[in-house]
Amino acid sequence: MRLKNPPVLTRRAMLASAAMGSLLGAHPAAAAAGTVAETFVDENIHKGLDILKDKKLTLTQRRDQFETLLLGLVDVRRIALFTLGQYRRTAPPEDVEAFVNAFKNYATAAYQSYFAKYTNQTLKVTGSTQRSDTDFIVQTLLIDPNSSQQPSEVDFRIRTDSGKPVLVDVAYQGIWLSLEERDQFVAFLGQNNGNVRSLIAHLSELAVNLGKQT
Amino acid sequence: MRGTRGLLVGLCGLVLAGCASTPPSADALAANDPYEQTNRDMLKLNGKIDRYFVIPTVGIYFLLVPEGGRRGVHNFLGNLSLPTIFVNDMLQGEVSRAGKSVWRLFINTTVGIAGFWDPASKMGIPGHGEDFGQTLAVWGVKEGPYLVLPFFGPSNPRDAFGMATDAAMDPTNQIPFKQHIWWSAGREYFTLLDLRGQTYQTIQGIQRSSVDYYSSLRNLYRQMRAEQIRNGRPANQELPDF
Repeated sequence: MRLKNPPVLTRRAMLASAAMGSLLGAHPAAAAAGTVAETFVDENIHKGLDILKDKKLTLTQRRDQFETLLLGLVDVRRIALFTLGQYRRTAPPEDVEAFVNAFKNYATAAYQSYFAKYTNQTLKVTGSTQRSDTDFIVQTLLIDPNSSQQPSEVDFRIRTDSGKPVLVDVAYQGIWLSLEERDQFVAFLGQNNGNVRSLIAHLSELAVNLGKQT
Repeated sequence: MRGTRGLLVGLCGLVLAGCASTPPSADALAANDPYEQTNRDMLKLNGKIDRYFVIPTVGIYFLLVPEGGRRGVHNFLGNLSLPTIFVNDMLQGEVSRAGKSVWRLFINTTVGIAGFWDPASKMGIPGHGEDFGQTLAVWGVKEGPYLVLPFFGPSNPRDAFGMATDAAMDPTNQIPFKQHIWWSAGREYFTLLDLRGQTYQTIQGIQRSSVDYYSSLRNLYRQMRAEQIRNGRPANQELPDF
């Protein structure tokens, strides 16, 4: 088990691939798209952290500004549909639409709650890997200047299907948020006869409670 | 003498074997969790133990022992685990990491005064973990169904067996002395205080933001173990498309 520092093997592999890419001049378009994804993460996550640590903003202003930024960056609909798992196909379309809206509120509150813990830390983009023409993982390190601990690895999954980069998932130390949410929601629906409305009610309640804490 | 941990894991196995009589649901089978109902009951039991016993004593520990002292205890416990980590590094063929474990043990036990300080990290040899559950995974052993063990929490047969094996191979459990049970129990207790103290806020956050805390823990445990087994190497290609 590795705790927090990137393994030497991975760093070597990344350096080797970078060197091979530059020598062979391979996939210039892909490399450019990777850079776009990296820039997207670098600029926007810092914007989000800046909003959360701005002491001049009231609670409502902070929440509103963060929500506006987040909804412009994240493909909430795509994530919401993914987290429904197999119930996406069987649920009535109007329930699915209501779920997407409830998920939007829940995700905003949850992301705000997660990121609020890291406002004193800085995020450094260290590279990216490409899964397909439009699917990238941007690797970053979360560095706490006041701690002697190793930086934490945070990865952002970026899709560029629509031509514009959007965030679809975040991983902290290798744990992907959307995968964890999907397991929860599918388990909840399994215990509630696949009733999406009960999940919507539960999510709405959670969003309100999370909003009170941040 | 085997450690208390090995004994407890054995008892947990017996408890689970006795409870596994309810037929699993289709969802539970799909999630590789055929003992889901028993596991949920066990999580509730662990929650009560945590609430009424662990958290109050963690509170007292934080009150009585300042941050520097708690860090020293954390370092000392980590140093005690290094021989087991070294063996598992070797069993996994990770010779370079095994070398780092030996250096850490040597530097922290001597310069770090019995491991209460961690000069090795400052010298560029940061800590890493390994356990026999991970070794079995590297050898190709499948994890088996998800389990929630009494006291220990999320696990699976491979990790539970690994935990018992780690306890058996730990050198401090091989040293014969009269009050060994108190040494083992004390070590487990401080490990629990250290771990729970470090994860208090994280677990509280998961409880507050979860739709279903049980399945959230199950997924987090599986993802965390997968990350530990691959030593953090990227597994981006394994992600689902959405």
